Amino acid sequence: MTAVVAILIDSYRALKAQRLFKTVLGLSLVVILGFASFGFNEQGMTFFFGLLDVESEYIYEGSKWAKTLYLGIFSYFIVTIWLGWAATILALISTSSIFPSFLSEGAVELTMSKPVRRTTMFFTKYLGGLMFVFLQVGLFCIGAFLVVGWRVGEWNATIFLAIPLVTLFFSYLFCVNVFFGVLTRSTLVALLFTVLFWFMTFGVRTADDTLSMVQFRTETLVSMSEKSVETAEGNLKEYREELVEIQQDGSDSAKEYYESQLKRGELNLENEQKSLDERRETLNQLKPWSITLDVIRWPLPETSRTIGLLGRWVEQDNEVSFEEIISGDWGEGGEEARDKRPHEIASDRIQERENSVSAFRIIGKSLLFEFVILMFAWWIFVRRDY
Amino acid sequence: MRVHEGEVFGLLGPNGAGKSTLVKILMTVIRPSRLQGSILGKPVGHKPTLKKVGYLPEHHRFPKHLRAGEVLDYFAALSGVPRSVRRRRTDEMLELVGMSDWKKQRVGEFSKGMQQRIGIAQALMNDPSILMLDEPTDGVDPVGRMEIRDLLIRLRDQGRTIFINSHLLSELEMVCNRVAIMVKGRVSMEGTIDDLTSASKRYEIVVDGDLPPAVEASIGEDVSVLESDRSRLVLPNADSHKVQPIIDHLRSSGVVIESVQPVRESLEELFMRAVHSTGEDAATPGAIKGKVSQS
Repeated sequence: MTAVVAILIDSYRALKAQRLFKTVLGLSLVVILGFASFGFNEQGMTFFFGLLDVESEYIYEGSKWAKTLYLGIFSYFIVTIWLGWAATILALISTSSIFPSFLSEGAVELTMSKPVRRTTMFFTKYLGGLMFVFLQVGLFCIGAFLVVGWRVGEWNATIFLAIPLVTLFFSYLFCVNVFFGVLTRSTLVALLFTVLFWFMTFGVRTADDTLSMVQFRTETLVSMSEKSVETAEGNLKEYREELVEIQQDGSDSAKEYYESQLKRGELNLENEQKSLDERRETLNQLKPWSITLDVIRWPLPETSRTIGLLGRWVEQDNEVSFEEIISGDWGEGGEEARDKRPHEIASDRIQERENSVSAFRIIGKSLLFEFVILMFAWWIFVRRDY
Repeated sequence: MRVHEGEVFGLLGPNGAGKSTLVKILMTVIRPSRLQGSILGKPVGHKPTLKKVGYLPEHHRFPKHLRAGEVLDYFAALSGVPRSVRRRRTDEMLELVGMSDWKKQRVGEFSKGMQQRIGIAQALMNDPSILMLDEPTDGVDPVGRMEIRDLLIRLRDQGRTIFINSHLLSELEMVCNRVAIMVKGRVSMEGTIDDLTSASKRYEIVVDGDLPPAVEASIGEDVSVLESDRSRLVLPNADSHKVQPIIDHLRSSGVVIESVQPVRESLEELFMRAVHSTGEDAATPGAIKGKVSQS
């Protein structure tokens, strides 16, 4: 236990000694101040600590939209962009050297010769790396908690869920970093491969989402085409029946009219059928790619979805959603109901799909990936001669 | 090879002999493919035993962000030394190696000699039953070497068991009770320096000018003359009694004697002999007619 505490304390000292640790803390403070500079008054929103006022009918001090907007900005923008991207890149730069330095010639002999099991050293050092993000996000959340409490008047403790979620998200990348760090003992190589891996997961996810969007949109179009074909067939049937009746006792002009309508209907049916066939063909072509991307995506950690859980879990007003505020839908039925366009339906389906994935699956699958990678890294770490 | 309690044992050998590898195996840094051996009565590789072992690796590097006191505290904690003991011993060990004034300085700012002294201090933090030092004076200037040597002598006088791995023979000669010479992964010699060099005991007589051939021919088989320096006569395995008739003979032949002195093989000569003895052209111990090295 003494050794474990010593390694953790040393990890903390090593991180604290880095300028980047203080830099990230400073930048976090700037982000928090930026967040705090935005607020509300009785007429609307205020920016730059009240230097700029913007009147709003809906978003004003005490309104349900104001609270949702404020927490939404924290969950969807600040956590996703600052903690999920910028601060993570800085954290990776800071922590990439942990294992390569630990295993460098001259340093590794000292530690490996101590009566501490290599497994204990490995996992304690790993936790030491995660401590960087844990501390940074912890301090950031304290700031955000105070700002939200001051601005919205509600002390929302669910904000602190960002600490485990962002640490989890970082750990998916950090395990890759550790693997390459242990394998190559090079900080630069470890950092490079981690960033490449991150971009790869991002690329696969984006490609999968885009393809799903196209697929859902095409499915909607197919369903619309099927309805059109059905309608065209119905019309054609109707024209034919009318024509039979008119041929018995109708006038020539009426006959001519229905004949032309029949021709137009046949042409229309042909076009609709052709369009339906083309869309079905497109859908069939998309399916193998969709399956391939699903297979590629399955073993990869769910980086974005893990961060996205914060949007689900941070307590907000259930009457109005952040997405509705962003899209200008104030939930008062002012906008006339209309049929949704195919891309809107597809977008909704994507959102539904995302919401249907359970937190257990998101985190469990990602932790499984992390476990496998860590086992490889651990195996190299404990078996190697230094 | 066996290191006895309370002795300073030196492991010598040329570069690549396997000295550091052996020490790393003993310290579990390297896993051996095959091994028979024990440390403090436990098989090599038994991690808990390392609580009683202090180790200073060759070319060691401390985390630069740590201060001298923190280095000692950190590595002692890894050895399982309780916090209260660490606090006390940190000051004691810094005092012992003369680094008390640098306790709060970062080790990254230290010279090589200071780093070595801190290294020895960290190796002593767990009050080890055996201290393993791998090239403790490597890269240290002459003043630093003398300081480290004095420190080792002090530790020896305290009765500590010390295992030193080095190729700086003159320094080992001053501090070691026993040595082993390792060549190509095998111990070719082991014993006290006296025992190992006793076979090389000889007398050397230096005369004024070259020894006349007639005198050389009459002087007897036991005496050889150096080819490189014909004024120097060597009597291998001789004692003072054996030398007297030779001196008398030289004086009666009109040869002027400049000096007569007993000579023993140095550790360096012993080392070179051990290294060469592994080859085909192995040199035999002591001075040999026509093939005697100068001491």
